[in-house]
Amino acid sequence: MSLPEADVCIVGSGAGGAPMALELGRAGFKVVVLEKGPHYQPRDFIHDEILNSRRNFFMPVPWEEPHLLRHGAAGRYEKTSAAWTANCVGGGTVHMSGFFYRLKPVDFRLRSTLGAVPGSTVADWPISYEELAPYYDKAEAELGVSGESIPHPFAEPRSGPYPLPPLDVHPVAKQLDEVCGALGWHALPTARGILSKPYRGRAPCSYCALCGSYGCETGAKSGTNASLIPAALATGNVDLRPGCMARTVEVDKQGRARSVVYLDADGVTREQRARVIVVSCTAVESARLLLNSTSSRFPRGLANGSGLVGRNLTFSSFGESHATFRLSKQAATRPWLKDPSPFVNRSLQDFYLLPDARHGFRKGGTLGFMWAHPNPIHAAVGLAGKGPRAVFGKELKERMREHRDSRILQFEVYAEFLPTAGTYVRVEDGVKDRYGIPVAAITVDRHPMDLAATRFLVERGEEVLRRLGPDDVRRGTTRGETTLLQHGTCRFGDDAATSVLDRNCRAHEVPNLYVVDGSFMPTGGSVPATLTISANSFRVAAHLVRTLKG
Amino acid sequence: MTRARSNRGRLSRRSLIQRLTFLGGGVVLLGPACKRSSEPKEEPPAAKQDGQAPRTFSSLEYAVVAAATERILPRDEDPGALDADVPVYIDRILQTPELTPVREDFLSGVAALERRARRLHQKGFAALTAEQQDELLTVFKDSPPRSGEAHFFELLTVMTLEGFLGDPSYGGNKDKVGWRLMGFDTVGTVASAPPEGYDGPKCLRECGAHR
Repeated sequence: MSLPEADVCIVGSGAGGAPMALELGRAGFKVVVLEKGPHYQPRDFIHDEILNSRRNFFMPVPWEEPHLLRHGAAGRYEKTSAAWTANCVGGGTVHMSGFFYRLKPVDFRLRSTLGAVPGSTVADWPISYEELAPYYDKAEAELGVSGESIPHPFAEPRSGPYPLPPLDVHPVAKQLDEVCGALGWHALPTARGILSKPYRGRAPCSYCALCGSYGCETGAKSGTNASLIPAALATGNVDLRPGCMARTVEVDKQGRARSVVYLDADGVTREQRARVIVVSCTAVESARLLLNSTSSRFPRGLANGSGLVGRNLTFSSFGESHATFRLSKQAATRPWLKDPSPFVNRSLQDFYLLPDARHGFRKGGTLGFMWAHPNPIHAAVGLAGKGPRAVFGKELKERMREHRDSRILQFEVYAEFLPTAGTYVRVEDGVKDRYGIPVAAITVDRHPMDLAATRFLVERGEEVLRRLGPDDVRRGTTRGETTLLQHGTCRFGDDAATSVLDRNCRAHEVPNLYVVDGSFMPTGGSVPATLTISANSFRVAAHLVRTLKG
Repeated sequence: MTRARSNRGRLSRRSLIQRLTFLGGGVVLLGPACKRSSEPKEEPPAAKQDGQAPRTFSSLEYAVVAAATERILPRDEDPGALDADVPVYIDRILQTPELTPVREDFLSGVAALERRARRLHQKGFAALTAEQQDELLTVFKDSPPRSGEAHFFELLTVMTLEGFLGDPSYGGNKDKVGWRLMGFDTVGTVASAPPEGYDGPKCLRECGAHR
């Protein structure tokens, strides 16, 4: 069934889709937002680990809607829920931790900075940090970001302070400041997409400690579900349709995008026509939607005459280590261990870019320090271990009792994930999801420089942890990738032969098609890119409003 | 969401039980794996637990699950799996429609454990000594990574920990004994449990359906 034409149809309501909905709605355009998942309300967000973290409340189970993932083209695909973010209004911003870093000027010109990198398809962005900066300001103001900027060697320029002061932090932050200072490094306050004060009618953080992997029941976490989407709906011009799964984007005879065909909440196939179509369902899922949108005009998928859709996929390179303090041994000399404050909010960016390649890489990244997540099932499953080295019975219970006596400080590394020819997403016609739609198939081939950088960063983080005098420092990994953070499958650029989108994130091959999730990013930066995706979407929205108003 | 570890070559079903530290929480993903037992399921009259018939298990299966979970988390100076009603949790959670493949895997695993006990000891698993039960569970644990036995051991451990440490409204973690053992809600964190009267299974039914 075909519905009345809208001005703009947006697929996805997360970090990319929501700014478009808000700005276009404010400008008076009729906007339809199709969102695959449900529209949860704050009352749906409960501190129930089973519901939130271990079932399909946020992400689908792999036997219903798998992603296929393999390491190397010779590897075997495994069905997984990796590379999904939350399927609900607000997308991944609902269950994010809200680490709202900006990229740095070097991230916009990494190819120029590093020169050619053998084995990598690294490219500069067609825009500079300075061009995006005003939209960072706007995104921070619209979403609500708490932070404090202090000088350091890699500080990105800012026009002013953060909209909100930093959140209260645990006393260990002061310890980290001292330890890092003694090493000649800079412990930076981590900006958070969480309100430290009441802001635009929203309540501030209640310091419940369950940000990541949970929805926020007070609305203090600045997911688009709590900030941009309510504002977009308030314009009266935005029709938000939850439970609607886009199947294809259709084109007319001239090769312009005509409509989105989707399954509505009752499973009925519908067609939404629009003058402009905006795709924003994550880098992996947007590539899947375009690749599944074949036509005689675009037999290899929409906007994919170049064959580049799905190529140059990047994630975030990941490493971590944990420092354990035994309360029974240490609480007397370190009384701050018993302080229950949840936030550490300290980052290290002294190794964002090294002056030379003596350590096997130049582009490094960010270390973020935090207390280990309190989820008890997650912790206990980790204590039990896996495979032949797993333990059970008395040994498992001893470990659980030790956990009760522990405070665990950890860091996570967000390091560059250089694009390679071997990391990409395709669709696999032989494997369909529960809607009957071919699924995304991901191949990962890591660049050795990233692994060297990640190991280096983990070693620096462990130096910091050890100086705090813990009972134990345990390495998690130096070889991971965070598939929640995804970029690059429709990179933007000025040359249609080497990019899918132009500098305004409009498809080179389809003049009324835009992609505004992380897909546009030729490089992902060495921080979580959530804020950057929203900032860019505000930038594209400003362009689109100008274009539509003629 | 999930973080894929670069764990090349062994990404089998192990990849389905993934960690998720960027979100901070840890994740599900109990993948479908071992083949369903071809033996017909024995269906003796259902046992009673707290006056209610099991929903997933026969009484024989229930006894095997009770014995096995108590070996994963035995009572010592602190409460064990049975004290927390872990088998009640597993019996109920496996009724979740989205977990049908997990239910099938779990039932095949229970049947395999019982078969192995009878073949080695001519007795059901529940009738073995604790040492014999531990030996058998260790055989399952140490089986090759892609085997149904190894998968079942992992599934059993994960489901036992869910039942021990999940919200009590799902039927386990009776009197919050699991949370007390791990220190959740008591030490070094202000993370708070759901309010009294919270009904997790209802939310799972109503919210988790991804309508």
